[in-house]
Amino acid sequence: MTRYDAIIIGGGHNGLVTAAYLGKAGKKVLVLERRHLVGGAAVSEQIVPGFTFSVFSYVVSLLRPEIIRDLDLPGHGLQILPLESTLTPLPGGDYLAQWGDADRSRRELYRHSPKDAEAMIEFGRLMQHMAMAVKPILGMMPPDPTSMSPRDLLSLAKLGKHFSALGESRFHWLYKLMTMSAADFLDEWFEFEPLKATKSASGIIGTFLGPRSPGTAYVLLHHYMGEIDGAFRAWGFAKGGTGAVSEAIASAARAAGVEIRTNAAVRRVLVRDGRATGVALENGDEIAAKVVVSGLDPRRTFLELIEPKELPTDLVDAVRRFKFRGSSGKVNLALGELPNFTCRPGTGDHLRGAVSISPSIGYLERAYDDAKYGEFSRQPYMDIILPSMIDPGMAPPGKHVMSIFVQYAPFNVKGGWTDAKREAFGDTVIDTLSEYAPNLRSAIIHRQVITPSDIERVTGLSEGNIFQGELALHQLFFLRPAPEWSSYRTPVKQYYQCGAGTHPGGGIMGASGRLAAMRILGDKAA
Amino acid sequence: MHDAIVVGAGLNGLATAAYLAKAGRKVLVLERRAVIGGSAVTEEIHPGYRVDVCSHDAGWLPPVIVEELSLESHGLTMLQPEATVFSPACDGPPLTLWRDPRRTADALRSRSSSDAQRFGAFGDQMGRLAGFLASVYESPAPRLTSTKPAELFALARLARRLRALGKRDMIEFLRVLPMSAAELLDDWFESDTLKGAIGGAAISGVCHGPRSAGTAFVLLHGHVGNAGRAIRARSQPKGGIGALAAALAGVARQYGAEIRTDAKVDRVVVNKGRATGVVVRGEEIAAPVVACSADPRQTLLELTGPSHLEPEFVRAAQQIRYRGVAAKVNLALGELPRFSGITDDQALRGLISVSPSLDYLEKAYDDAKHGGVSRNPYLEVTIPSLLDESLAPAGRHVMSIKMQYAPYALRDGAWTDDRRAALGELIIDTLAEYAPNLPSTILQQQVLTPEDMECVYGAPEGNVDHGEMALDQILFMRPVAGWARHATPIDGLYLCGSGTHPGGRIVGGAGRLAAREILRAGSKKRATA
Repeated sequence: MTRYDAIIIGGGHNGLVTAAYLGKAGKKVLVLERRHLVGGAAVSEQIVPGFTFSVFSYVVSLLRPEIIRDLDLPGHGLQILPLESTLTPLPGGDYLAQWGDADRSRRELYRHSPKDAEAMIEFGRLMQHMAMAVKPILGMMPPDPTSMSPRDLLSLAKLGKHFSALGESRFHWLYKLMTMSAADFLDEWFEFEPLKATKSASGIIGTFLGPRSPGTAYVLLHHYMGEIDGAFRAWGFAKGGTGAVSEAIASAARAAGVEIRTNAAVRRVLVRDGRATGVALENGDEIAAKVVVSGLDPRRTFLELIEPKELPTDLVDAVRRFKFRGSSGKVNLALGELPNFTCRPGTGDHLRGAVSISPSIGYLERAYDDAKYGEFSRQPYMDIILPSMIDPGMAPPGKHVMSIFVQYAPFNVKGGWTDAKREAFGDTVIDTLSEYAPNLRSAIIHRQVITPSDIERVTGLSEGNIFQGELALHQLFFLRPAPEWSSYRTPVKQYYQCGAGTHPGGGIMGASGRLAAMRILGDKAA
Repeated sequence: MHDAIVVGAGLNGLATAAYLAKAGRKVLVLERRAVIGGSAVTEEIHPGYRVDVCSHDAGWLPPVIVEELSLESHGLTMLQPEATVFSPACDGPPLTLWRDPRRTADALRSRSSSDAQRFGAFGDQMGRLAGFLASVYESPAPRLTSTKPAELFALARLARRLRALGKRDMIEFLRVLPMSAAELLDDWFESDTLKGAIGGAAISGVCHGPRSAGTAFVLLHGHVGNAGRAIRARSQPKGGIGALAAALAGVARQYGAEIRTDAKVDRVVVNKGRATGVVVRGEEIAAPVVACSADPRQTLLELTGPSHLEPEFVRAAQQIRYRGVAAKVNLALGELPRFSGITDDQALRGLISVSPSLDYLEKAYDDAKHGGVSRNPYLEVTIPSLLDESLAPAGRHVMSIKMQYAPYALRDGAWTDDRRAALGELIIDTLAEYAPNLPSTILQQQVLTPEDMECVYGAPEGNVDHGEMALDQILFMRPVAGWARHATPIDGLYLCGSGTHPGGRIVGGAGRLAAREILRAGSKKRATA
């Protein structure tokens, strides 16, 4: 029998990244995936013959460039196609368009507000600086601020130096971004509601907060952190869907000698004398390894895969109160023809980018109000792309696929997510979107509606939270997933965590997986 | 000639004057109104009935100020009721919280044994975290990016204090600040009534609901200075909140300060980038230092003028968020209203909080968020005459009701007399649900909209804190980033009101630190001269 150096539980993109890095370091690695395919929430599946859906996660931008480079992902088939525009249709029949070409965007914005068009230049510059300031933090292991160990103190000092090197003014801007609401922050710059709403929408994705709640401004930065081929601000779509990202990483891992087993659900981690020794599968098999790494979310990593008695009570409490609160759903459509938006009829280049249903901050807040009291939004926020417009291989010729990210759909909906509720949710999405693209309903060949409860059931993400836990300020950095355990280690020796529930978390970023691998190698654990 | 002019005789203006005078400076205080106190005033609303018309809770009176200014010898007596919060429930009996946590735990036991058990620990933890905050509030705002030895030293001292909390509390402090009050309270308790009763304190003065991130900080801010474990404990100055102003004025006068009322300052005189005095009703009064306790925007953009300032700074000042959301109703009562579910008035001596659940508060906020007045508002009520018989004729009472949310800027137009009347009715009707005989006991009523708070008491946009107490507007960000040490870009002009660090609801906190800064700058100047 092969003796593995490391077993990775879960073949999501972070698990695969950890596996690939460990494999490249010469370790014998086994990845165990519960489903029949790898990718976790980054999967492409043919729901109807000929139509490929990025079922859950649908855009790529935050994937760390060093990972793309280290693992030679392009060599393993990764190809990212840029999403170049965002169209915000407005109720009165007008629209706001933002284009990849800054001049074109400015001219368009000038039509709505000359003041905003002016402000955008300075705003863009500031955000770029801020993104630069935050980036190094995404790639660093969080220090423990309570620790007196030389390593942590040194790391803290480095962090302090990084911030003081920013200079007072930029530090203050960064502080504002960390603490303000997206709405308040944007109010300081712009006046055109649809612009503010569309920008603020990125701040609410995956959280259970509205754009007026403090803490939502920070995520604005993510839009300026997206990096494709070194170009800032770009969002992209992976050729073949987001599953292609997972496939590329898996391929890189296999090339490094990693073994990947699907249909292999892990029931629990084997622990002896406070040390992980391997895993037990659902089918009863036991597999031994020097190191066990969980790519699952913190709740599963700490409360399900091992016995809570193995853990200090502080950690158990912290994980129990870690907020998941999934708030988003997804509607995937196979279309017989392209949607025809009233505000911009025809099949222009606006369909090659995103379409955002976010006419005003008030609209988004009202969508949130419904969710707060246990209902899905009657008029939800939607972020829509048509992957087949960028990658024709996603649908049969002349036909299309549409991916609609929808918020808010609370995991704890009143009465629970029944089949009827799911369909009602789907109807609401189609009804709302039809107001802007009346031909949509008749164009639908097939519709797949995904609720937070479906996300949890299929991908295993607790409460359907797409980030393995809310990206709220009190759940970031050294607090992610719990104080003292943001180091990718766990209180169980030889048991590590590598999922998005650790720093920096969220999005198809891979940073958690990479940092976990570095920690494991640094500890000489495997 | 005066050494310093202090504009505004609110608590912070008076504290600034008292500290400067005590240090030997010749100080003139100029107050627009006929009475001193700013938003801390006790006025007669009906013959023989005196009530704290604007703010009815001054917040934390730092012991260091009481001591340094010997306020007790100037007649200040604080009354402390045994009850802290009386909170009527939507259905079921009301809940009373007491200064004694064991008594509170007893009151909670019938609702939730787990809440009863955890209440003491919650109060303990809040006390420890607020204790750290108190030490931050007593020192000048930290400068995190400075590399000057003195600043680094101050930072190191702060870091040491934070670490002194111990590992667990230190992390808890950092974790709690950006949280929503709802998340924090859900972590601790299960009773909606209890969470509502505490949660009222988390939205005080901010245009946020208990589910907005950052409201746990508001809760903690309100808890600063609360001795022991008592949640929302209130002390009431004997004679009303105006007694605080009187005591501070007494100290200032004792050291020779002159306080002039009915003296509205039209503008600050600036010559070559230096403040050289003020103009009062056309008369120029010269002084090398002008300390202004009006809010920062008014001070800098109206009394001084943007032409003296860099555009960047002007922009930052324009963007200070005030967003007042509180209204007031003050009542003279012929008898004590009877609240359902209690038999004696002990429970009513603290705060009466109409906040039956966090959802109730959140829904009240939803209305305001979309620019309307809360249909079911949060009410914070005091009956100060229960503790202090000097405030009303024997057997009669005064009642002060603070209401949230009544947004300063309404979606559909301005505040009018009709709207004020409707607001008063809404507030009385809401409270009457819990005290049905209230309307029949009213002898006189006064209703103040946020606009009235601005016009009469100088609270900008009706915000008595002179700027929302939110994480992005405190410490080194207050009033604007980089200018948290009370000085302004104009030499000789200082800010000393609640709009500066440490902010609102800390009696004299800003005034004390501003005076220190003025004295420090003065001695430096003298040394170089």
